[in-house]
Amino acid sequence: MKEKATGKRILSYIRPYFPLFAVCILLSAVDVALSLAIPIKVGNAIDLTVGKGQVDFTGIMPILRDILLMAVCAGAAQWLVSLLNNRAAFGTVKKLRTDAFKKLQRLPLSYLDSHPSGETVSRIVADADRFSDGLLLGFTRLFTGFATIIGTLGFMLRLHKGITLVVVLLTPVSVFAARYIAKHTYSMFSLQSKTRGEQTAFIDEMLTGQKVVKAFGREKPSIEKFDEINGKLQKSSLKAIFYSSLTNPCTRFVNSLVYAGVALCGALLVLSTGGKAVSVGMLTCFLSYANQYTKPFNEISGVFTEFQNAVACAERIFSLLDEKEQTADGEKTLERASGRVCIDNVSFSYDKSKRLLESITVDVQSGQHIAIVGPTGCGKTTLINLLMRFYDADEGTVSVDGSSIKTLTRKSLRENYGMVLQDTWLMCGTVKDNIALGNPGATEDEIIRAAKAAYAHPFITRLPDGYNTVLGENGGGLSEGQKQLICIARIMLRLPPMLILDEATSSIDTRTEQQIQHGFSRLMAGKTAFIVAHRLSTVKNADLILVMKDGNIVEQGNHESLMQRKGFYYELWNAQVQ
Amino acid sequence: MKSVFYQLKFYKKESILGPLFKLSEASFELFVPLVVAKIIDVGIKNSDREYTVKMCLALAGLAAAGLICSVTAQYFAARAATGCTARLSRTLFEKIQKLDFPTLDKAGISTLITRMTGDISQVQTGVNLTLRLLLRSPFVVFGAMLMAFTVDVKSALIFAVAIPLLSVAVFGVMLRCISLYKKVQGSLDRVTLSVRENLSGVRVLRAFNKQEEQTAVFDERNSALTAIQIFTGRISSVMNPVTFVMINAAAICLLYTGAVRVDTGRLQTGEVVALYNYMSQILVELVKLANLIINITKSAASANRIDAILRLPEQENGTVESLSDSENAVCFNNVSLQYDTAAAQSLSDISFCVKRDQTVGIIGATGSGKTSLVNLIPGFYKATNGEVLLFGENVNNISRALLNEKIAVVPQHALLFRGTVRENLLWGNKNAADEELYAALRAAQAEDIILSKENGLDFMIEQGGKNLSGGQRQRLTIARALVKKAEIMILDDSASALDFVTESKLRKALSELENSPAVFIVSQRTSSIRHADFIIVLDDGKCIGQGTHDELLSACPVYREIHETQFGGAV
Repeated sequence: MKEKATGKRILSYIRPYFPLFAVCILLSAVDVALSLAIPIKVGNAIDLTVGKGQVDFTGIMPILRDILLMAVCAGAAQWLVSLLNNRAAFGTVKKLRTDAFKKLQRLPLSYLDSHPSGETVSRIVADADRFSDGLLLGFTRLFTGFATIIGTLGFMLRLHKGITLVVVLLTPVSVFAARYIAKHTYSMFSLQSKTRGEQTAFIDEMLTGQKVVKAFGREKPSIEKFDEINGKLQKSSLKAIFYSSLTNPCTRFVNSLVYAGVALCGALLVLSTGGKAVSVGMLTCFLSYANQYTKPFNEISGVFTEFQNAVACAERIFSLLDEKEQTADGEKTLERASGRVCIDNVSFSYDKSKRLLESITVDVQSGQHIAIVGPTGCGKTTLINLLMRFYDADEGTVSVDGSSIKTLTRKSLRENYGMVLQDTWLMCGTVKDNIALGNPGATEDEIIRAAKAAYAHPFITRLPDGYNTVLGENGGGLSEGQKQLICIARIMLRLPPMLILDEATSSIDTRTEQQIQHGFSRLMAGKTAFIVAHRLSTVKNADLILVMKDGNIVEQGNHESLMQRKGFYYELWNAQVQ
Repeated sequence: MKSVFYQLKFYKKESILGPLFKLSEASFELFVPLVVAKIIDVGIKNSDREYTVKMCLALAGLAAAGLICSVTAQYFAARAATGCTARLSRTLFEKIQKLDFPTLDKAGISTLITRMTGDISQVQTGVNLTLRLLLRSPFVVFGAMLMAFTVDVKSALIFAVAIPLLSVAVFGVMLRCISLYKKVQGSLDRVTLSVRENLSGVRVLRAFNKQEEQTAVFDERNSALTAIQIFTGRISSVMNPVTFVMINAAAICLLYTGAVRVDTGRLQTGEVVALYNYMSQILVELVKLANLIINITKSAASANRIDAILRLPEQENGTVESLSDSENAVCFNNVSLQYDTAAAQSLSDISFCVKRDQTVGIIGATGSGKTSLVNLIPGFYKATNGEVLLFGENVNNISRALLNEKIAVVPQHALLFRGTVRENLLWGNKNAADEELYAALRAAQAEDIILSKENGLDFMIEQGGKNLSGGQRQRLTIARALVKKAEIMILDDSASALDFVTESKLRKALSELENSPAVFIVSQRTSSIRHADFIIVLDDGKCIGQGTHDELLSACPVYREIHETQFGGAV
């Protein structure tokens, strides 16, 4: 069932190229026919070259001309087939990749958070490639292979049935030999790659911790362990490499035997019939065929494994394309919000067996600053996921300016928020591009002003190319603190009506943090802001502090009232001040 | 390449026998067309059945001899390749163990990992292929030409023309393709980057509503990739048809020349067939050779990268094996440090002395030089100016083993290794008994982590400690250092993930340690160090204050500011 469905979808992707394939098949047939006819022509020419004074030049010349013509035509056909094939293969991959990438943009965060990103990358990049390689290039090779086998058989049968029989009977031996070796080396290869994986993991771990290894003087035990794995790898590699390298000599040996067999039968037939049924030229021709005959067999068996691979790759991409997309968008557009946020009886959990947020209710007036504090894993970040609608609440509603966020377009909702996350993220590009991420039309002056407001200007000017310095993936050489300053500058440039600051300043030392806080308070003036912070000093001035523990808001109020309560907040605060 | 040749010396026999057997196989192959010529020109011409059968048996014999030779060759090549790379990879690993910190920084850990894995395995492939094929293909090509010359000099001249022309076609297309493949790879990298960024930055990109824009960027990169792939495909697909036509053209010339020569009686029919057969052998081998050369070039590049690592300077080892009972555990005398790659000093003119049982706090902004300072104590880096004394002896003169015994470090990055908790803790002291481990865990406030695990000390830690939280990892790394019972302990911002209650308990436990070591605590929080005997305040690599918490509050404005920003004036 599943295979059938996958097959159908694969067909739907290559359907636009059907005419192209038809041409390909036609051209391949021409190529095969001509390539196979050439040895016959050579044989004919040889037969006209009998001995001294017995050469029929008037016969030979047109034959040679034909050979040249055939070779040129076959060559042209080969070239065209490759060109058309390329077009179809790369076109299909392109379409597949684009579809997968567009899908990515519509997938819910719950999918992206729970699947390792490396795996998704490999589906979109590597699997798509392998799919086209295996399936499309394999397809013509398969056709050419079959055509060559059938063609060769046909030509040989026309020349002589007996010798054909010798070739047909002996050839499969080489295919079987190759199969046999492949089957028996498989386990050696898997042992080798397992051991290699073990060694790589060890190297990766030890070198990553090399400084710790040195700090504890553990070089020797480390080398001993390495030797142990390395020795195992050497043994398994030797086996895998040696046994697998037997394939070529063995198939070549069988081919040579076929060759000898053809030579024997052919020569004896020439002798017994006096060159009438079988001529010397035919013998030459047969020998060429015998040489080529096994090649398509090996290719075809290779193509089949590639097919299986390709289908498996296609299945992986299709399963990505089939993933459930994020819930439907609302229809209302949220204009510039006043910043009134209501969280009404909201419950949520990532894993349905474990409750996380339970019946949370918070009413935030426009312009209020809300601090969220509590130990790790208490649900602070989750709350933000719900506010931004990265996740949908299981129960209850979150509303902004009186509209449930499910009725709003995600775009307009998110436009109203400015967010700085704990995990800073910068894209590959210049510092300028990164600051202007949310506001691509910003002028240079505006960008510099935002950077100054975020206290990022001084260090940016010290970078090699200032604002035009190209940052590598995820910030390249910048320190965690500098990256955070750039993320803050991004928000400074956009000035949205609501802010979400998730431990935004955790990697910045307290003095710089203090400076950013000044900038922030300027930014936050009159705006609704949610601040998740580890350091209590940064949240002291908040209008409302939500103290969270195990998914519940255990206390709320301002700093003074919470201190008076002498509850959980009081404990946290005292532990810090002590 | 030097290192590879050096290691191959240990496999001299294999490295010589491998190619030798391979060449023998190739020579057997070269005899085949001659035998066929004999069948035609002697056996068939003279109607000599016995001779014909004998010659066909000779063909089978050549095949068998070829099989034996090539299997032997493969065996020797595989042995030499795996053996040589195993030795090379061990040498490299050992070398990396001997590098000092500045060299490790310069080389880069991820680079070293690539050298140990990707490059080594590329070298293995290279050695194996070189021993097996490098001599074979040229041998067959030139052998075929030589054989052709023995058959008939004039016809053989066609070979002399065809081989260079074919080589130009094969190598020309290949070279062009190599540079194009690099471009393809570059385009592919950009596509991959797009996908990766859209996964790693999904929250930010969605928060800024970048989906459509990102899709447009991706489309553009994807189209560029497709275009360059199609172009490359167009070039690379030229090779087969062109060589096919060339080889057939050469065959036509051969047939014609052959016919003329046969007509004048200088050549026999079978010999023409032999020449034709030699011609067909050449093409296959040329293509193989071109592929081989690409592979060997890659391997040579890998080998050279490995050589570069092996040439790096090794860490120096001091000779002092025992230290006196100096009152001062650590003294810095006008110490400055400038990293090789840095434009400015990271530490300038630092002086202080720490007694055997004192606790020192080191505080300052990010990048002010805190970690640089403590890294000088175990000699991880060397002071550019001034001297660092441990128990009165210059740290550069002390042997690594002794330094390792005297100093326990808890690095900033809490890194644990795959293995049981016990194995990890024994890094501190491989002879420690379980009670000592528990005592260290207790002091590090980590005992509850172990007690909560079913198998206690035998709890398996995943690579990098992934199955533990950041705070748990930090406490275990502290315990690992405590197991050492060293005289100097360095905690480099190692309690940052601990909550305040746990941290204060840890501080108390540290002050009550039996062996009362000198303790260095690096922190960004004044709360972590306010109880220290004295505190060093760093700003941009300079010491701008030294003294107790109370002294600094009144005398050092920067310290006061740090403190106030953390407690909002709630002193």
